[in-house]
Amino acid sequence: MAALAPRQLFLNLRPRDDATLENFLSLPGNSAALEALGSGGEDQVYLHGPADGGKSHLLQALCHAAGPGALYLPGSAVAAYPAEEVLSGAEGLALVCIDELDLLAGREDWEQALFHFYNRARESACRLCVAAARPPGTLPLELPDLRSRLAAGLVFALPAPDDAARRAILSFRAGRRGLRLAPELAGYILARAPRGLADLLAVLERLDQASLAARRPLTQPFVREVMSW
Amino acid sequence: MPEAVWTQCRNQLQDELPAQQFNTWIRPLEAREDARCLRLLAPNRFIRDFVADKFAPRIAELLRDVGIQQDVVLEIMEARQSVSLAAVAGAVAAPAREAPLPASRPAPTLASVNTPTFGHAQQSEVHEALQHQHNLVANYTFRNFVEGKSNQLALAAANQVAENPGDAYNPLFLYGGVGLGKTHLMHAVGNALKESNPEARIVYLHSERFVADMVKALQLNAITDFKRYYRSVDALLIDDIQFFAKKDRSQEEFFHTFNALLEGGQQMILTCDRYPKEIDGLEERLKSRFGWGLTVAVEPPDLETRVAILMKKASQSQLELPPDAAFFIAQRIRSNVRELEGALKRVIASANFTRRAIDVDLVKESLKDLLALQDKQVSLDNIQRTVAEYYKIKVADLMSRRRSRSVARPRQVAMALAKELTNHSLPEIGDSFGGRDHTTVLHACRKIKELRETSSDIHEDYKNLLRSLTT
Repeated sequence: MAALAPRQLFLNLRPRDDATLENFLSLPGNSAALEALGSGGEDQVYLHGPADGGKSHLLQALCHAAGPGALYLPGSAVAAYPAEEVLSGAEGLALVCIDELDLLAGREDWEQALFHFYNRARESACRLCVAAARPPGTLPLELPDLRSRLAAGLVFALPAPDDAARRAILSFRAGRRGLRLAPELAGYILARAPRGLADLLAVLERLDQASLAARRPLTQPFVREVMSW
Repeated sequence: MPEAVWTQCRNQLQDELPAQQFNTWIRPLEAREDARCLRLLAPNRFIRDFVADKFAPRIAELLRDVGIQQDVVLEIMEARQSVSLAAVAGAVAAPAREAPLPASRPAPTLASVNTPTFGHAQQSEVHEALQHQHNLVANYTFRNFVEGKSNQLALAAANQVAENPGDAYNPLFLYGGVGLGKTHLMHAVGNALKESNPEARIVYLHSERFVADMVKALQLNAITDFKRYYRSVDALLIDDIQFFAKKDRSQEEFFHTFNALLEGGQQMILTCDRYPKEIDGLEERLKSRFGWGLTVAVEPPDLETRVAILMKKASQSQLELPPDAAFFIAQRIRSNVRELEGALKRVIASANFTRRAIDVDLVKESLKDLLALQDKQVSLDNIQRTVAEYYKIKVADLMSRRRSRSVARPRQVAMALAKELTNHSLPEIGDSFGGRDHTTVLHACRKIKELRETSSDIHEDYKNLLRSLTT
């Protein structure tokens, strides 16, 4: 198989820059949510906020920490399938995370299935963590029974990162990869990289790989060369 | 070393797939190996089928590359030990269908689960599952229930039933909006019955479970067990009966169960989000039977009750909640008890996190998103003004007793908008329209919902008003 080139085998040995709790930077806007999720004390948590606030990262990280058997269901991946089937039997698991709830709200089949799933999950002590752009109160739901249940747990708003937070996240994630990012270089990258956090971190991934492949440290000329900035 | 091999294969998939796909489909798979094959366990059938359908060839390829010669089998993980009948019955029935894998895949194949064996084993397992559930929540007791004007009648009725089960109030039918304590009261009766007679067979379930059990029983040819089980209980508590709507076979089965229980003097308690007569898609004979016992409404709690509920919750968690902080929360969260409890949880989480004592400032801080949201919400005044202006009538007309179409229709539109756009309860909305009853508001909401589908004028009006009120 040609895809398994030696270079990729080598890359597989690096620590993964994964959606884990360790890879999530605690900031003033999200630390309360992070602690509540990490401690596992509350068995129903609802996260809301704009893109880049860390909702998906946190839900995926919880599943990662819970090990096999935890289920991560993003609305975009499951909306096209029969709701009852997707959720069937899932209450027997220790943890179910439902991401992008916005994409399921307003759909009668999904709202009913989620409502019934909620009831089953409560009876069998399955932890349920949900994320959406909007809080339970303004999510365009048709079923009030579902809305009140979503609002019954711990609800946290996760703000989008501002420039200072984006800088902190970039340095933090670089550090997690074992890269040292000088403050001026971080500023240089931030000024030129796309604003979205996922794109910013993709730049970091690209720089990391280039630096490893070329065996050169990250410097401004090297970054400029790799990114053609 | 199946785990190590699988980890290697999984890492490769992680590099190949977008993070979201990897986390949804591949991460939850667990590897097990025995002499004959490598097993990949999926958390439920949906994941198993999806993986079999979309990723099987690639997984097979990767495993072959690392030298796995055995067959690879995709299976459903056995559920964690669970009290839920549906889960138990689901696990029993799980191997029933083959994963949709074409037989023509190149070796090593990802075969499906072991062939199902149907018959007595499953039936007796269903039977066992049926025997074991009562599902009563231990802390839903009368002691933990906060009495207020809004639930006095329902509480008194529930107490009566707990003292004299199967007597005059059979069935006890509790109805009202979401999160107002219907389920709590129902469990309280169950727990009280259990306390006075530990041998009593009390069964609580959600209507969906009844439907699911019946379907499962039909599939497994165990409908006799199903009937026998539900007719042998001392008290049957069914929640959210409105979900029986349009499920004809379940209604039929429930109708017979109902009659058998009533005849045997076994108590039934049913809850619903509306008055029995108003459940669309429910057989008339059931509607009328629901009214044979006692039908009581549970209303949204008033301010004092909301404060009392918060204080009770706080003392249960051994928490110092100053009365002014409780008052502040209760004043702002008006919709229902469930949301009230959610708000309190949020405050407690903040207090624990910041290691501060709870006071009004901490409440404001921890609920600031929730409160900001409410502030943005439209006021009743604003709705009335906008609607009156739109229809070129006076706000006073909306409040008046006049019933001519030119006034009554705009009034109904305004009421429906108030229900949709504000957190106010039906009685509060009724009050603000010249002291009308909450049933009038309910009727208005339904009428407008219906008209929006049948009359393009109303549809257009409503859409325009909604837009001007929310932007």
